[in-house]
Amino acid sequence: MHPVIRLVNRNLTISLNKGFMIWQVIFPLIYIFVGGFAYTALIDSVSYGNKTLGYPAYIASGMIGFNIMNSALVSGIIIWNDRRHGMFEQILVGPFTRTHYILSNVYTIGIIGLISATLITAVGYPLFFESVEFNFLTMPLLVFASVVGSILFGSIASIISTRLKSSEGFNVVINTVFLFFAFVSTAFYPAEGSPVPLSIAFYFNPLTYLVDVVRAGIFGNFDTFVAIEMLVLVTLTLTLFSIATKLLAKLEL
Amino acid sequence: MSCIETKSLSKSYGVINAVDDIDLSVNNGKIFGFLGPNGAGKTTTIKLLTTLIPPTAGTMKILGIDAIRSPLEVRKKIGVVLQQPSYEPTLSVEKSLEKYGMMWNVERKLRQDRVEELLLSFDLAELRNIKNDELSIGQRRRVQVAREFMHDMNLLFLDEPTVGLDPSARRGLLDFIKDKAKDGLTVFFTTHLLNEAEYICNEVAIINKGKIIAVDSPEELKNKFGREKTIKIHLDTIRKDLSDLLIGIKDYELDFNSGTNITIRSNDSEEVLLKILQILTANNIVIEDLSAIPTSLEEIFLSVVNKSNASSN
Repeated sequence: MHPVIRLVNRNLTISLNKGFMIWQVIFPLIYIFVGGFAYTALIDSVSYGNKTLGYPAYIASGMIGFNIMNSALVSGIIIWNDRRHGMFEQILVGPFTRTHYILSNVYTIGIIGLISATLITAVGYPLFFESVEFNFLTMPLLVFASVVGSILFGSIASIISTRLKSSEGFNVVINTVFLFFAFVSTAFYPAEGSPVPLSIAFYFNPLTYLVDVVRAGIFGNFDTFVAIEMLVLVTLTLTLFSIATKLLAKLEL
Repeated sequence: MSCIETKSLSKSYGVINAVDDIDLSVNNGKIFGFLGPNGAGKTTTIKLLTTLIPPTAGTMKILGIDAIRSPLEVRKKIGVVLQQPSYEPTLSVEKSLEKYGMMWNVERKLRQDRVEELLLSFDLAELRNIKNDELSIGQRRRVQVAREFMHDMNLLFLDEPTVGLDPSARRGLLDFIKDKAKDGLTVFFTTHLLNEAEYICNEVAIINKGKIIAVDSPEELKNKFGREKTIKIHLDTIRKDLSDLLIGIKDYELDFNSGTNITIRSNDSEEVLLKILQILTANNIVIEDLSAIPTSLEEIFLSVVNKSNASSN
């Protein structure tokens, strides 16, 4: 078995515990089924392209992107735990290189991102099935969002985990950054109609681009703007992934 | 054949030479002890030999492989227990052994057999379902060492493996390593506990301030550096006048703890003893007890390190 596959196997074993599964499934379900329906009293419907979506359908599609982002946290947590518990050095005195280690993290978050997106799509489907427009782009767009989104947010989490030494610092920074990503985005509410500074801020957030791509896949409104958003996501992902890789490669032992 | 061969191996951090121009040669099937005070360069040497960090200068061959050019090839053939703890907090003891075997590409059936074997050998069977996070420091250390025997290797590096272990677990581990060495495994072993090195090692090197200051078998080191012997004489009564009686005799100390104790420490202990015995007999002083203390590796270590410190100062 290739060393990277062996490390991915190990990463999945240590990551997929009960706590993580609850975090991955229960939280989005609460957002979708409690928040989604409770907020219909305030937000009856949301205009999206040439469609009008019910708020539960809107938030359920947003939760797919949100969950991809959350699953990417795994990358940071793996690196953080490996450094904290001595496994980073232990792996590097074993039959592995740093490249194996980095690639295994990428594949791990890619796999978790895909599983996560599939899970939420399945759970949210009853809410948005009326508005779904499947076409030849639907699946590729969802896979694109899962993989690129996982690597992008995984790189951010990795960068944070390589820069911080205390566990308190790591938790505070990672939660603050991901809280900003979650709520200053179009995952929960549309940019249109929000105060102008806020709607501008939404587009300084990669989660907005990711959620837009997911919605384009589900509701079939792929256009030039979404294509540009995909390009921005790819560029940003490549840049952040390079930085994360360099930092990991330079991490002192 | 040499398992480890280094020539002028050095590692510097700025102006600090953590490892300074060391030449090492460790033969196959030996347990090689690497001793030194804190900060002497032991862990840095292990990090160099296990290819975790690159040297600043010098060459090293591990198992006949150029470790600077082909570090991965070396790492595939060695086992390493680092000084710092390493564990997967969310995995149980059994699962961490099993996964570690998987990481080393050990075939599934063999992995299962080895897990059972090691759980017994390291007295971990009762802890098999306990998560690493819930173990004591000593138990975790046992898992860390046991884990390394999940895979095959030709050379094992152990950086203070007995830290945190109780005396019985420590002895168990040392005997386990001895048995493995009998089967042909070469072991590079660092420790602060010199009685451990004396118990287990065929050969020891002493490192101080990044330099190797002595290399030999524990017995040969004793012969070379351990000429000074300690002899103790105990008298039942307190004889404060002894210092006057023993005037002119060197290399002895007096204390009056539960009687009178005369401790001789000298390269010519027997000669000093004879002189003291003559004086005691002449003054009708009765000896309650007389004992000679064999030179330990610890005394040699302290003596060699102190001499090295004195000469470098």
